[in-house]
Amino acid sequence: MRRRLGLVTIVLAAALLVTACGGGSSQGGGAAQGGGQPSGQSAQQAAGGGETKPIKIGQVIPITGEAAESGKYQKQGAELAVEQINAAGGVKGRKLQLVQEDDKTTNPGAVAALQKLLEDKEIVAVIGSIRSTQVQAMMPTIAEAKIPVAIGGTNYGLTHSGNPWVFRFRPHDGYSAQVLAKFTVEELGKKKVAVIHSTDAFGTGGKDFVVEALKKLGVEPVLVQGYNNGEKDYTAILTALKQSGAEALITYMTFSTDLGIMAKQIKQLGINVTWVGSPSITAKDAANLAGDALYGTYGVTDFQVDGSEASKKFAEAYKAKYGQNPDLYSAWTYDAVMVFAEAMKKAPDLKPESIRQAILSIKGFPGAEGEYNFDQNGDGLRHYHVVKNENGTWKLFKTITITD
Amino acid sequence: MSESLPIVGQLLFTGLSIGGVYALVALGIVLIYRATNVVNFAQGDFSMLGAYILVVLTQGAGLPYGLAFAVALAAMALFGLLFALGVYYPLRNRTFLPVIIATIGASIMFQNGALAVFGPSPQKLRPIIDAGPTGGVTVGGVFFDYQYLVTLVVTLVLVAVQHFFFEYTLLGKKMQATSQDKDMARLLGIPVTAMIALTFIYSTFLGGLSGMLVAPIFFVTHKMGAVLGLKAFAATITGGFGDVKGAIIGGLALGIVETFGAAYISVPYKDAFAFLVLIIFLLFRPQGIFGEKVAEKA
Repeated sequence: MRRRLGLVTIVLAAALLVTACGGGSSQGGGAAQGGGQPSGQSAQQAAGGGETKPIKIGQVIPITGEAAESGKYQKQGAELAVEQINAAGGVKGRKLQLVQEDDKTTNPGAVAALQKLLEDKEIVAVIGSIRSTQVQAMMPTIAEAKIPVAIGGTNYGLTHSGNPWVFRFRPHDGYSAQVLAKFTVEELGKKKVAVIHSTDAFGTGGKDFVVEALKKLGVEPVLVQGYNNGEKDYTAILTALKQSGAEALITYMTFSTDLGIMAKQIKQLGINVTWVGSPSITAKDAANLAGDALYGTYGVTDFQVDGSEASKKFAEAYKAKYGQNPDLYSAWTYDAVMVFAEAMKKAPDLKPESIRQAILSIKGFPGAEGEYNFDQNGDGLRHYHVVKNENGTWKLFKTITITD
Repeated sequence: MSESLPIVGQLLFTGLSIGGVYALVALGIVLIYRATNVVNFAQGDFSMLGAYILVVLTQGAGLPYGLAFAVALAAMALFGLLFALGVYYPLRNRTFLPVIIATIGASIMFQNGALAVFGPSPQKLRPIIDAGPTGGVTVGGVFFDYQYLVTLVVTLVLVAVQHFFFEYTLLGKKMQATSQDKDMARLLGIPVTAMIALTFIYSTFLGGLSGMLVAPIFFVTHKMGAVLGLKAFAATITGGFGDVKGAIIGGLALGIVETFGAAYISVPYKDAFAFLVLIIFLLFRPQGIFGEKVAEKA
């Protein structure tokens, strides 16, 4: 009996361990975790004319934790923009200054970082998170603070929840799904399409959009199959894929490790489908892991180094300063600073409401990600680049803009 | 109908292969449990550490693969000694619970340490048999991954060796005696502390080896050991706690149940099948398939 009790304790301990590692990250995931502590104070506008002090922009970035690496790129993108603006004379005769706080790659960390930034009354706008789940956690604090916050999370709901202070600097998941479906059906002419997706909030949300978009184009998917993040073996899914007779495969996968393993197994099992993947397929990690298993596949991405003239110019400047090509992490923060600066130039003063109105009035602004035209929801972009993997490098294939 | 045969064959091979990996990790858990009555929740992370050491030696230091493999195994054995001294030894006179909690703590520390040192980007390792464009061979419509074949063979060989060692060698018997009654073993002149240290050394060696074997298939991440460890733990309970045969049968069975469950019932609930089996066994046959060999203590 004692032994059995011991086993039960051990199982409980195991359960503890599962929850400990199960709470891992899901990039772009949409689940909100807890509510932010209301800060109890709203940000004040910076003092008006005659100032010579720099204009402060806050930035919430992961400096520690799992997303630390992407945090570095987000930091560099924003810093490059500030440097360029200051070199060109600044805004309203004042220099820009970034104030950065670590979000520790957690939701509570992101909320705490934002609150700390809001304490500084000289901060006129904030660059928030690229992770949807963190943005969701920050929402109540943002609504309370009434200060413009740039976000990079692509979850559709973030700009559709009635919070007027959130501005998105990447196209949302609804657009990527529409581009995936449109490209597969209209450009590639495939009618038998399978969809494989991660079962987290990000993957399920994306899958719903893809299936909806496919149906709108008159295509009923032959297979829709989810898997859990961290899956190590895709044999079961891939045999079903083979049996479904699909000519094309659309994936909405969250982690590049999972994508890499699946890509290898697709090749091993000799499955012949045209693969069009959501942005994770274009991640550097996926290419490193899967190698030639990804040759010939298509992917969609919001940022492409040679996507437009503005992208090329940004990439050159970035490369000159940091010695490597930029990615979407650096592109969206660069754009956020640029658009904030443009709005501050246009606005009569630096009150949050004036900046907000100025951002909404921005039309045709050429950013590194694409051309910004903000709608009333705060969505600035509605394009996706389709890229093709040619022997390991992603080449621009076609840019598709969704015009509802 | 003729088309479904290769599919069943493919699922069977995949299930057995994954199960073999679980079994390999489970062997380490069983060993430590037999020697100390402690379940080591850091066993899965030994796999992760072994894989990272191999990454550092091959890609960082540029050693040839064979040499790097041997050095990594030696490093893991040394690491086992440190683990025994640092995690087990200070708590050796306490009940099993503080030690288990210490291993959970060590597991969290290893994962975060790996994250801090190596970053979140997964790393790639070359397979042992680096041949062909797919790294395997297709026979009768079934794809055999060389790396999985190697893993299965290594698992079976190690099980045989381990069985022989415990049942037929003096050292193995001393280790068993230590696990059954430390005080009695000490009275009989068995160096208990050394026996236990030896067990930890061999277990980390096994854990590291399992990691180096699966890394080419799973890629190397700081989390790769966590799931492995839990599945292996489920395998040991299913097979019969503390039983070497049980660990391997439990591991293989778990792999097959998972793979077929995913194919014919539900993919998202794949992990649930393994733990469902675990719960059913705990409810109806807590001693597992083969029962427990270590005698009940008063």
